[in-house]
Amino acid sequence: MEIPYTVKPRPDTGLYNGKLGIWLFLASEVMLFGALFSSYVLLRVGAADGTWSMGLMDIVVGAGNTMVLIASSMFVVLAWAQLKQGKLSGPWSSPRNWGYIQWKWATVACAVIFLMVKWSYEWPSKFVHYDVWFKNSAVLHNKVEEGYHHDGVAHKSELWDEEKDKKFSLARLYVEKEIYVERFFKTYSEEDGGSHKAFNKAWDTGSLALSGHINGYEEAQINVEVTGWKPDAGVSESEADKILLGLGISGEEGVAKRLRSQGGLLKGNVSYDVAKRAEYKLTKSGFSVALSVAGYEPVEAHPYFWRTGRINEDIGGKPRVKSIRFALDASHHEENGEIHHKEITINTADVKRLNSYEPKHSTFFGIYYTITGLHAAHVFGGIIVMLYNLLPIGLATWHRDREQYTNRIETFGLFWHFVDLVWIFLFPILYIL
Amino acid sequence: MSDSHDSPNFIQYLIKLFYLVGGVLVAGTLITVLIDVTLDMSLGIAAIVGLSIALVKAAFVVAIFMHYKWDKKLIMITWTMIMTFFFFAGMMGLIMWAEGDLPRWGREEVPTIWPVLASLLGLLLPASFTIFTIKMLSQPTAVEAEPVPKPKAKRAASKKK
Repeated sequence: MEIPYTVKPRPDTGLYNGKLGIWLFLASEVMLFGALFSSYVLLRVGAADGTWSMGLMDIVVGAGNTMVLIASSMFVVLAWAQLKQGKLSGPWSSPRNWGYIQWKWATVACAVIFLMVKWSYEWPSKFVHYDVWFKNSAVLHNKVEEGYHHDGVAHKSELWDEEKDKKFSLARLYVEKEIYVERFFKTYSEEDGGSHKAFNKAWDTGSLALSGHINGYEEAQINVEVTGWKPDAGVSESEADKILLGLGISGEEGVAKRLRSQGGLLKGNVSYDVAKRAEYKLTKSGFSVALSVAGYEPVEAHPYFWRTGRINEDIGGKPRVKSIRFALDASHHEENGEIHHKEITINTADVKRLNSYEPKHSTFFGIYYTITGLHAAHVFGGIIVMLYNLLPIGLATWHRDREQYTNRIETFGLFWHFVDLVWIFLFPILYIL
Repeated sequence: MSDSHDSPNFIQYLIKLFYLVGGVLVAGTLITVLIDVTLDMSLGIAAIVGLSIALVKAAFVVAIFMHYKWDKKLIMITWTMIMTFFFFAGMMGLIMWAEGDLPRWGREEVPTIWPVLASLLGLLLPASFTIFTIKMLSQPTAVEAEPVPKPKAKRAASKKK
């Protein structure tokens, strides 16, 4: 079957069908992204003071990625211009003589770089970055003093206003003027709705979060105890004994049976994962199990995606994580001539909320991941289409009908420019405002 | 793009233009970053500056990269985008109407006139969208600027083949 008007314009529309089709598609895309942009604007202007974390984005990375996408947009239109001149391929060695294939691969490379930056750097680095809120404002004030006293002293001349700031500590002034204003407000202001009043409120009520990375923590070592067995689960006695053997008790005669009938310690001092897996297997086969904390072991790690529920998960009345070592943002600590982020120890008993910069963190991150994720999905789809057009199966169209193939590349280009266009607006909105 | 724009010279001219626009876009991005880093702006000013630069960049992309500059005679695209705008604005207006209020700019209550205007927009824009659609559909034939008989003749000829 021959598809009509792939090359010649349709008389009534004045366009070849593919072009009208892609513009209609772009029109629907305008509505899709437009709705999200509108949501963003409504959420942004409706957000309470000090809740919109606009200052967390790395503007250099964002600008770099913008350039990469601009370059790809330029390359794709150059690829089309080469096809228009009938030049499918040229020598790789001289970019001045590149043909369609070379420019198209350059476009693909840019698109891949864009996604790599986003998916292997920008997003993952947010998943290991945490905010922690405290149950009690007194704890917050102590931790700020502990973590930022040194920085406050170092910046004294810039922060201190003899008249107004007498009653405030230097650490508090440092957090307000160097961190809080930067993150939630673009400029320091003492007016209503300005940064100073919002900060004072957050400070007094303890709703201010401290930001940083988790360098390590103390995690529970768990005792797994069997407290009884009933054949509820439809597991026979010998099968139940086998389960116990599979969990590593000694194979001596009668050990499994005694444990099953009288109960007792199955595993001592095991890690959380081992204990939970054993608990799952045992309860599934009719055992009742009690977990208890034997002690806490320090762990060196930079965990992803931690939330409050994880650190204070109840294990026999004690939390899973006892304390975390928290490296504070924008703090400096000198040790052996090297400068580190100042590390403070936070007891999980004091923590009201702990959340990495994932979508759940806040409205800002919710809409941030929604919009950038949808945009990235468009880039990903674009890469697939470009690869198809570069493969022999796609190029077969070129060898059959050059104009049709050129038009196909033009319509793809229109889509790609639209994706670039969306990013042109996303960049100032997400990285600057 | 119409046939007169397919000549090799014109393509060469286009390629130069593409490089130029690429340069403009990069410069726009750099300016945005520089302004943000060097100047101490309030949020409102930063929004106006940032979005204005983005608008200029977007205009270049649409006009040159998407060669809308040479396609605008092809009225279908223009119609499609205008309709989309009206439809979208109407939808948004309706949402605001349904909400009955607007967010508070700078923590101050919005004057009553705002929701009223939003409601009016919510009514007017979909209505105008409908009228435009009806008008357009009731046009009997070509919206293309070319004389009508010519494409008809072509069509007949190709059918004979």
